[in-house]
Amino acid sequence: MTSTISRPAAPARQPEERKPSRGRSDLTFRQRLGRFDVKASPYLYISPFFITFAVIGLFPLVYTLWVSLHEWQLLQGQGAFVGFDNFTAVLQDRFFWNSIFNTFSIFLLSSVPQIAVALLIAAVLDQNLKAKTFWRMSVLLPYVVAPVAVALIFSSMFGEQDGLVNNLLGLIGIDPIQWKHDTLASHVAIATMVNWRWTGYNALILLAAMQAIPRDLYESAAIDGAGSTRRFFSITIPSIRPTLIFVIITATIGGLQIFAEPRLFDAASAGGLGGADRQFQTTVLYLWEMAFFRQNFGEAAAIAWLLFILIVAFGLINFLLSRRIASGEARAIKRRSGKRLEAHRVSQGLVGEAAGVDGQEKS
Amino acid sequence: MPFTRRTKVAAALAGATSIALLATGCSAGGGGSESGEIELTITTFGTMGFDDLYKQYEEENPGIKITANNIDTGGNARTDAFTKLAAGSGLSDVVAIEEGWLGSIMEVSDQFVDLRDFGIEDRKGDWVDWKYEQVTDADGRVIGYGTDIGPEGLCYNGAAFEAAGLPRDREAVAELFGGENASWERYFELGKQYNEATGKAWYDHSGFVWNAMVNQLDEGYYTADGELNVEGNAELEERFGWIADGAESGLSAAQTAWDWNGGKSFVDGTFATFVCPGWMLGVVEGQIEAGGGDASTGWDFADVFPGGAANWGGSWLSVPTSSQHQEEAAALASWLSEPEQQVAAFEAAGPFPSTVDAQETLASEGEPEEFFNGAPTGQILAERAKGVKAQFKGPDDSVIQENVFGPALQSLDRGEANGDQAWQKALDLLNELVVE
Repeated sequence: MTSTISRPAAPARQPEERKPSRGRSDLTFRQRLGRFDVKASPYLYISPFFITFAVIGLFPLVYTLWVSLHEWQLLQGQGAFVGFDNFTAVLQDRFFWNSIFNTFSIFLLSSVPQIAVALLIAAVLDQNLKAKTFWRMSVLLPYVVAPVAVALIFSSMFGEQDGLVNNLLGLIGIDPIQWKHDTLASHVAIATMVNWRWTGYNALILLAAMQAIPRDLYESAAIDGAGSTRRFFSITIPSIRPTLIFVIITATIGGLQIFAEPRLFDAASAGGLGGADRQFQTTVLYLWEMAFFRQNFGEAAAIAWLLFILIVAFGLINFLLSRRIASGEARAIKRRSGKRLEAHRVSQGLVGEAAGVDGQEKS
Repeated sequence: MPFTRRTKVAAALAGATSIALLATGCSAGGGGSESGEIELTITTFGTMGFDDLYKQYEEENPGIKITANNIDTGGNARTDAFTKLAAGSGLSDVVAIEEGWLGSIMEVSDQFVDLRDFGIEDRKGDWVDWKYEQVTDADGRVIGYGTDIGPEGLCYNGAAFEAAGLPRDREAVAELFGGENASWERYFELGKQYNEATGKAWYDHSGFVWNAMVNQLDEGYYTADGELNVEGNAELEERFGWIADGAESGLSAAQTAWDWNGGKSFVDGTFATFVCPGWMLGVVEGQIEAGGGDASTGWDFADVFPGGAANWGGSWLSVPTSSQHQEEAAALASWLSEPEQQVAAFEAAGPFPSTVDAQETLASEGEPEEFFNGAPTGQILAERAKGVKAQFKGPDDSVIQENVFGPALQSLDRGEANGDQAWQKALDLLNELVVE
C-alpha cells in the first residue's frame, strides 16, 4: 500500500536547472538537448519514487542479507561471518514452522472471507442506493482506526473471563471460549480484527472498479434475460479482474505480515509474543521476538529473508492462480455460451433458466 | 468524473497534507533548546513516583525542562531500551534500568556514562552495598544511580481472610504465617485450608510465587559466576514441585499477570494473597481502582514473607553516552536518587528506597497507607528489607522468567500438565531459547 502513497510529485525545477549552465551552447547542441529531454525526462520524473525505494527499500533488504550471514547480537553488534548457519538454525527451529503455520492459518481465515465479503459489499454499494456517500464512508470507517486501537478493543472483547464475546455467547448457552489459549479460537479472533479493518477498504477499491464497467453491458445482458447473479459472475467479476488481482496480492502481502494484532492481542502474557505457548505467534512476531527479545539479530535477519522469499513466492502463485481462474472463467463462458447458442437453436425460451442455473453453480 | 471546484480543493488539500506528513515525519527527536533552556528527557516505567519531583527539580533549577516518558511495565521498557541501544539513537538523557534485564545492559556497559566522572563515588555510602555493586562493571565503571529495591511482603485481602475464618488483623496474619520462621510449606498449607473453606484460589497465578521463590535463593537461574543454573538444580526443582502441588490443589487463580481481568480479579475475591515487593503496592492500588474497587475492598499488607527475606526487582537511573547533556542528566538522576527524594517517591507510589538514610526515615516515621487498611507500609518494608541481598542476574534472566518458566507454569495453572511434565517443558524451552 505504501507504493501508492509514497510517490511524490516529480520535481518541476529540472528544466530550469539545466538552462543556466548550458545556456551558451549552439543550436545543434540544443536540439540534442531537446531530444535528450524528451527521452530522459520521463525517467527523471519517476525517479523520486525509485530513489526513495532504493534508500528505504532496497538498501535495508541487502543490509538484512548481510546481517543474516553473520553472528550478530542486538546490543553487541556484528560478530563473525557464519555463512548460512543462521538460515539452517531457523529452518530447524520448531517455533519458526509454528509461526509459519499460524501465519497461514490467520491469513486464510482473514483474506478469503475478507475478499468474498468485500466483493459482496461492493456489489451492493454499486446498486442505486440512497445516501451513497454515507454508505461508502461507513464501510471505510474501520480503516481509519489505528490497528493498535483495534487490537486493544478486540483484545478486551475477546477476554476470556469477562469479555463481551464470551458474555454474549453465554446468553445463548455456549461455554466461554478460550480465545487467548486455544489455537483455532485465537486465530479466528485475530482474523476478525484484520477483517474488520480491511474489508471496507477492499470493498471500496472493488467498488471503484465496478463503477467503471459500462452500464450498457448490464442493460443488454438484462435484456437478454440474465439474472442479477448471472450478471455479477459473468460481467462484474471478469470486468474487475485486474483490480481483483491487485486486491488479492495486497491482501496476501498484508496477510503474511500481520504483526500488531497478535502482538497486542494478549500483550500481558509471556511478553506479548503471541500467546504463552505461541498459539498465535505469526512469523513477523517471531522475527520480532528473535531480534528484540532473544537479541539474536543474525537469525532474525534470516527469518526476515525467508519471509520475504515466501511472500514473493506466494504472491506469484496467487497472481498466476487468480489470472488462471479469471481467464479460465472466460474460457468456460465461451464454451458455455457456444453450447447455449446450440441449445438456443434447438429450443427457444429455455435460455433464461439455463443462465440462472449456471449462475448458481458458480456461487 | 469531471473535476468540480470542490474536488479540486479536496485534492489540493490531500496533496498538501501528504507533503506535510512527509516533511514532518523525520523531524522528531533532538533536544530543543529555546532561549538557553536545556531539555532533559527521562524514560521510566511502572510506578516510580517521580512526577511531582520533576516539577520540584524544574523549579529549583531554572533553565532545565524535563520531558518524562513512562512505560507501563519493566518488560516493555526493556524492549524500548534494547531497540534504541541497537539503533544507536533515541535513548532519553536518563534511562531507568530494571534489575531483571540489568544483565544484558552490563554486557554493553560502555554505552552508558561512567558516573564516577560525575562524582557518584562520593555518594557510594548512601546506598546499601549490593545496590552499588550491581551496576559496577568489570572495569570498575559505575553506570547507575540506585533508586528502589524490591523487598517483598505479603499482600492479603482481609475481608476474604475473615470470611474464611482466618484472622484479619495484620499482626495476627504475620503470626499465622509463622512470623520470622514463615515458610512456603506453611503458606501452601494455609492456602489449602482457605481453599477448602471457600473453594477459591489462594494466589493469582503461579508465575509470581515462583518468581519470589527463585529470587529468594542465593543463586537463581545463574550461578554467581554467570553459569546457567537450572537443569539439575535441586533447589529449583523442589520449589517447582511445591508450585505444581499448589496448582493441582486449586490454589492458583490462573490469572494473566499485568492484566488480572482488567483489575477485577483483585476486587471480586478471585484470590486472597499476593506477593508484594514495595513497587508492587502502586500496581495493586492501580489494579484495584481499575477493577472498580477502593480501600474498602479489604487489601492489607503484612510484615511477613514465606521463606524469609526476598528481593524482587529494583531499578537504577543511568545516562547513556548518546545523551547531549550528560552532566545535567547525571545531576538530575543523582538528585532523584537522593534519600529525601526516595522517601517522596515512596510516599507517592510505593517503590522502596535503596539508600540507607531513606530506609531509616521510613522505618521510624513511615506514614500509614490508607489504601492498604492503614498499614505502615514503610516500616513493614524496612523490616522486610533486612537480610535482603539481590542475587546475580544473568543476561537471559528475564527471558528465562517470562518465556521459559512462564509457559510451563501457565500449563500447570490451567491443569494441562502435571509437575514433571511442566518441569520438562521448562527444560525443553530453556534448551531451545537460551542454550541453543
